[in-house]
Amino acid sequence: MELALDILPQVLVDGIVLGFMYALIALGYTMVYGVLEFINFAHSEIFVLGAFVGVEILLLLESAGHLATLHTAFVLLIVILSGMLLSGLAAVALERVAYRPLQRSPRLVALISAIGASFFLQDALRFFESLWRNTFYLTYPTLDVLDKTVPLGLNVVVPVKSLLVIVTALVALAVLHLFVNRTRLGAAIRAVAQDPDTASLMGIPVNRVIALTFFVGGAMGGLAGVLFGLHYSLVNPYSGFFPGLKAFTAAVLGGIGNIPGAMLGGMVLGMLEAFAASYLSILTDGAFGAEYKDVFAFVVLILILILRPKGLLGEKVREEGA
Amino acid sequence: MKVGLTHVGVVAYIIASSALVFVFPQSVLAFLCFEASLLVIYYASVDQTTKFCLGTIVLLVLLPLLGSVNGYYLEVAIQVGIFVALALGLNIVVGFVGLLNLGFVAFYAIGAYLWAIFGSPQANHFLPGNLFPLSSVWFFPFLLLSVGVGALTGALLGLPVLRLRGDYLAVVTLGFAEVVRALVNNFDKPINITNGPKGITPIEKPPLFFQPLLEFLGFSVNPSTLYPFYFYFLVLFIAMLTVVVARRLEESRIGRAWKAIREDEIAAAAMGIPVVRMKLLGLAVGASFASAVGVLFAAKQVFINPESFTFMESIGVLAMVILGGMGSIPGAILGATGVTILNLQVLKGLSLWLNSVRQSGIVLSIPLFGDFTLSQIPAQFEPAKYERMVFGLILILMMMFRPQGVLPPRQKRGH
Amino acid sequence: MALLELRGISKRFGGLQALNRVDLTLEDGMIAALIGPNGAGKTTLFHTLTGIYRPDEGEIHFIGRSLVGLKPDKITGAGISRTFQNIRLFAHMTVLENILVGMHCRISTSLWGILLQSQGAHRQERDAARRAMELIELAGLRGKENEWAHQLSYGEQRRLEIARALAANPKVLLLDEPTAGMNTTEAQSLMMLFKDLIGRYVQAVLLIEHNMRVVMGISHRVYVLDYGEKIAEGHPDEVRRDPRVIEAYLGPGTWVGDAQS
Ligand SMILES: Nc1ncnc2c1ncn2[C@@H]1O[C@H](COP(=O)(O)OP(=O)(O)O)[C@@H](O)[C@H]1O
Ligand SMILES: [Mg+2]
Repeated sequence: MELALDILPQVLVDGIVLGFMYALIALGYTMVYGVLEFINFAHSEIFVLGAFVGVEILLLLESAGHLATLHTAFVLLIVILSGMLLSGLAAVALERVAYRPLQRSPRLVALISAIGASFFLQDALRFFESLWRNTFYLTYPTLDVLDKTVPLGLNVVVPVKSLLVIVTALVALAVLHLFVNRTRLGAAIRAVAQDPDTASLMGIPVNRVIALTFFVGGAMGGLAGVLFGLHYSLVNPYSGFFPGLKAFTAAVLGGIGNIPGAMLGGMVLGMLEAFAASYLSILTDGAFGAEYKDVFAFVVLILILILRPKGLLGEKVREEGA
Repeated sequence: MKVGLTHVGVVAYIIASSALVFVFPQSVLAFLCFEASLLVIYYASVDQTTKFCLGTIVLLVLLPLLGSVNGYYLEVAIQVGIFVALALGLNIVVGFVGLLNLGFVAFYAIGAYLWAIFGSPQANHFLPGNLFPLSSVWFFPFLLLSVGVGALTGALLGLPVLRLRGDYLAVVTLGFAEVVRALVNNFDKPINITNGPKGITPIEKPPLFFQPLLEFLGFSVNPSTLYPFYFYFLVLFIAMLTVVVARRLEESRIGRAWKAIREDEIAAAAMGIPVVRMKLLGLAVGASFASAVGVLFAAKQVFINPESFTFMESIGVLAMVILGGMGSIPGAILGATGVTILNLQVLKGLSLWLNSVRQSGIVLSIPLFGDFTLSQIPAQFEPAKYERMVFGLILILMMMFRPQGVLPPRQKRGH
Repeated sequence: MALLELRGISKRFGGLQALNRVDLTLEDGMIAALIGPNGAGKTTLFHTLTGIYRPDEGEIHFIGRSLVGLKPDKITGAGISRTFQNIRLFAHMTVLENILVGMHCRISTSLWGILLQSQGAHRQERDAARRAMELIELAGLRGKENEWAHQLSYGEQRRLEIARALAANPKVLLLDEPTAGMNTTEAQSLMMLFKDLIGRYVQAVLLIEHNMRVVMGISHRVYVLDYGEKIAEGHPDEVRRDPRVIEAYLGPGTWVGDAQS
């Protein structure tokens, strides 16, 4: 039991980091679901794209010899902003190419197209990296500052990269909150999410708002991707599958379509996972270990959908009209 | 029966393409031509009996003969058969009932592991008495058992998820398959049931029950040359069986109920259809197909591990169903055949060709770009590895341009 | 004894009282009409009666048996069959298949019978197909049995939906605005068809109608709903003179005969 207490701070930090990561990705799912009632299955690839943009920029800077000379904060800023921008643009392009032509089709048709897009993008990324670097398993170059740790007293030390994730995510979430609730564009997004037909009657350019939603959601996913890479170092074109599904679970957990819900769901899921990864093995005497952390999210997803499909903060799901 | 020009043409095509394969046994192109003969038969405007006879000749006589020239063709045909049965199973769930099941591979895995565990020494790890592997005679009872187990798990999965909306159901079934895979991957402890990521081997093959007969007839064939043919006919038989089952169901009140639910659930209920029961039945039937084929797969592979049962397999089968046309039995067959051949032959062929190009070291002079040595094509770039891209493209393009598929369900004429 | 009896049926959607203690009786051999302005709760009453909604209060008795809480398919099985206001055919199924779906609960082939193509299953399918052709004939769709339902014209779709409801072999047929989108002559000829159904195909018909004029000639009894309440009931001639009906249905000062939507 003492061992269990010893690792508790570490587990909490891991959980918070994971939680923010899932929250950022979940925003993309939840915002798109809000306006289109559609699961953007390829959002996990938008997330991975962010991670790849990050690693490519860092590798390019490194090979040009700038990584050592430029200030780390500046490098991070460039990497994060480009990851967000490119992921956002990719999400917009995805919407334009793969989803908009299907807006009038049954919802499952668009979902199938999204699954196709997800698979396509994974291999497209692989294709590109294979031609360009002759490998598609990339490692983030080390930035010395990130590997330092900060003591928080009580024998607890927090790696700088964890702090980076937490602080950046907090800033991004705050900005997003202000954007959605305090700006006209944010109001337009909310209006479309509420009722696209009325919004369109009120003169809101629905398609542009949808594109904007994809951009914002994609940028958040891209940010998560860069942070993921900076934190865990290794990326490959298929790394999006589990984070994506867990983030979707987080979105459902919080109540799909609900932005604060996505943040809450992400945090809850991140914590659950961190605790499961560390304590499952202790609790079951080693019979079940951290290997089950990936399916843990699915079990949560299945249970939540069956027991409370509207999620923790969700509104009542529309009654099936007869 | 009038023998027209078409008859002659079809027969000529079949003879010519088989001859081509005999002359160039290594040529992918030749074999593709031969495979196309089935399509030619399907589309030719000849009567049903002729089609049936020609199809039988191609599948029962010519293909095994060509397989004796190049064993790989038998392997391709076996894989095609396996995927045809899987696609027909998924077609029931997605095409008839209209439930987007993204975790179809789970049932395949359940069947495969059912036989793998008991048809290998694996079960000795958790059952006393050193009874395992079961002798190969048990293969057929297990094939039957797997139908039941598959149906049961399919229905059990259905119970909680059927109330969900279509898109949630899709994600939950995907989650279910990942849970199954994780269990298979990790249940080497606390008790070793699945042997985890290391997989299970050696798995018993089906019994050579006809060997006495062969010996009596004076053939003494070595089992290792016999097995590919045996598997081919076994797979062919099972695939045909699934076709018959799927067709009989489609044309029965059950199939009509499924399609009615797909079209309009509320109207279906108002017409007296027990919606939940029928959906469960659909999931169960689809799952039982997959699970039975899983048993076959395990016996054929001799070795299985969790890697064979990933999400990509589910999407692959979905791509087959969608390519052919949801709700269309000929479509599912065509889709399964086409996609399997694309993966096993076309992409692999491209890979081989690229390799040879790479080794040739030819230098291309491209205006404006300068010289490009073909040996510079990165080794990582291998078309055979891009199955996901193929599946992805199929899904997107079909949804955009032909959501009803290549061979959509047809209205039947007459009664 | 009444064939079908509704007593005190209420249904709320959130704050909206869609039905308020509605009583309704249908007797053998009877054509009854349910009329009332848009949003009065007529369709909701059908949905409640057929098990799509569960009533908040009230009882439904059908040949001495309670139907409350039964699933739609059980109610159809018991002998009540319906059409929908906004035609709900199975679009990607043929005309014949649509009708055969309607017969689902009258065919009893088992899974094994189907898989093994037993004699019994075969005979049942053949009989079903024969009866389906009769109904197709009745609906005037002869020769179209192999067309997709969505390829039919609007009027044909309406008739197919009625034939599909009849396929379930119901005792009571519920029709939700069967003449919507037709002109008065077409509507009246359809009404004649309903009259012929009584005794031959069904024991009673309850139909929702917007156009009061078309139901006057054939219905034995008219029920009028307004804001979820039954405001009048009786012989068409009494109801049409009832000032409450005139006011609720048409607004003050309008003549009933002009009621068209
Ligand atoms: N599923 C539902 N949820 C909420 N309100 C509903 C629902 N169905 C019907 N209503 C409301 O109930 C009222 C009665 O509707 P309806 O029965 O369709 O009227 P009618 O068929 O007489 O035109 C209307 O105000 C309608 O908006
Ligand atoms: Mg109505």
